[in-house]
Amino acid sequence: MSLSKIRLPKGMRALVLIISAALVYGFLNAYSNRLLLPSAPFIALRPQVVLPFFLGLVFGPWVGFLTGFLGNMIGDALCGYGCWTFWNWHIANGIYGLLPGLACYFGLKEIRTLRRFVIMETIVVATNLVAIGVAVLADLFWLKTMQFPESLNSWILPALITNIVLSFVLVPLLLVFVKFIVITVETRITLVLSWLIVSIVVISATAVTWTVWNDLTSQAASVQAFYSAGIVTVLVVIIGFLISVFLAHRITDPLANLGQAARQIEQGEYQLPVLDTLDKRSDEFGQLATVMRSMASQIEARETRLKNQVAELKIEIDRTKQDEDVREIVESDYFKALRQKARGFRTTSRIDKEEEIKDATPKDDESSSI
Amino acid sequence: MSKIISIHSFRGGTGKSNTTANLAVSLAQMGLRVCVVDTDIQSPGIHVMFQLNPKDIKFSLNDFLWGKCEIEQTAHEVFTEDSKGRVFLIPSSMRTGDIARVLKFGYDIQLLREGFMNIISKLTIDVLLIDTHPGLNEETLMSIALSDVLLIILRPDAQDYQGTAVTVEVARQIEVPQMYLLMNKVPDLFDKTETIEKAQEAFTCPVIAILPHSDEMMMLASNGIFVRQYPDHPITREIGMVAQKILG
Repeated sequence: MSLSKIRLPKGMRALVLIISAALVYGFLNAYSNRLLLPSAPFIALRPQVVLPFFLGLVFGPWVGFLTGFLGNMIGDALCGYGCWTFWNWHIANGIYGLLPGLACYFGLKEIRTLRRFVIMETIVVATNLVAIGVAVLADLFWLKTMQFPESLNSWILPALITNIVLSFVLVPLLLVFVKFIVITVETRITLVLSWLIVSIVVISATAVTWTVWNDLTSQAASVQAFYSAGIVTVLVVIIGFLISVFLAHRITDPLANLGQAARQIEQGEYQLPVLDTLDKRSDEFGQLATVMRSMASQIEARETRLKNQVAELKIEIDRTKQDEDVREIVESDYFKALRQKARGFRTTSRIDKEEEIKDATPKDDESSSI
Repeated sequence: MSKIISIHSFRGGTGKSNTTANLAVSLAQMGLRVCVVDTDIQSPGIHVMFQLNPKDIKFSLNDFLWGKCEIEQTAHEVFTEDSKGRVFLIPSSMRTGDIARVLKFGYDIQLLREGFMNIISKLTIDVLLIDTHPGLNEETLMSIALSDVLLIILRPDAQDYQGTAVTVEVARQIEVPQMYLLMNKVPDLFDKTETIEKAQEAFTCPVIAILPHSDEMMMLASNGIFVRQYPDHPITREIGMVAQKILG
């Protein structure tokens, strides 16, 4: 399932996509409210926030915006808040799909490099800031339902952080799944490191928050928080180490296979089963493996061609020139005299040898050949 | 009963001296007493293969041909295998004056024959190998005329084909009892059987062996005897087979 093969929906198809996505989004909004952050009891943990973002990035601004906008409306309606009460949040959710949609519109098609990965993560942060900023400003100037700046700490910041962190983890995951992010060595390292960083932040923050939350009255609360943070750091270091070992293996194993393949080519083996899994990878190793395989088959073809050429090789002799050269030698007086002498030598040596044989052993095979 | 074998090639650089030296050692390893005569008086070279220092050469073939010494005084033992196998070398003089003198006056076939016969009987030689000068000059024709077997070495190369065709015909006219072709420095890409068939057809002469173009052989080229250095190498086995066939 390659993304380049997915055609952007038009007309009815786009409508069906938007409505079904909005329904899913609204439904998830209405029923995921039980996942609450301990430090901010009014902010739900909403993993579905990545849905409009993802659809916008893949299918463009309209699909993204309408999914967020309508989805939030449906969610509010299901919760009994009414369709239009918090209209500013409909717009905010729409923006979650609109900005990545614009990025898609302006050419962010496939993420292979670190640069594009950074652009994508920047859009994640920008989208969250703009969306929540718009909602808060609309509330301040028109709805006037919250107190500012009290609500900054109680829910604006927690909501912002929660959404950014979730987007950081989940958006790349989804994009990898649909191959919008192509796994290359660059993107793999970036993904692993970004997830690692996010998990460090989330785990340590959660640990600290839980300690403070559960033991608010104790004097030892802050000390306890440091301990917890320390333990978390150790765990993160260990996990990070394990991940780096894994990562290193993911890089060195294919290198070893490529080396093995090169050795086989050196020895004239061109089938290269050692590359069987490697050349299906989409990363640089996969590309190298593919090139190596095609190189091997080229070499084999060239070798076969050469062999065939050689089989056709002819021994060509200019018979006229040969006759001339031979005649020049054999018709010389020297040659004639030499031949005469040679004949004489052979006769005498034959007689010598025959006598020798008579004297010594019975006649054997050698005498007949001389 | 002994055999006289001339090893010849129409052009230089075919690996003639190299093949001669290897063949000599291969025959000695079979327990035979072999004598190699370097009749390539114009450009002697086979002594290098046997690492014979020119300073240790007291008498050469030249000295015998000018009556300065007996033939057995020119023979240098260069290889020993067990109690029986031996290779003796009769070198040509490396002195430019001697070379010029031979070029000017030549030598007599009767004398050369006497020398061959004497060395065979004095040193009880089984096989006398004659390393000839490339081309078809009078001295070379003389060696061929005195031989029981002529081994012609050629490379897969148009000029070698033409020269070899002439040599084969001339040797036939001089009535050499047995003649073989040995194709040397043949790239691996050649199909062996087919090459043999084509050569036999073109030259109407049996092909005794096809030797590959070997990097190891090139490396050792004129600096040692390949069959000694690489006793298990396919080329060594091939040369051993040539030795067997040439004895008949």
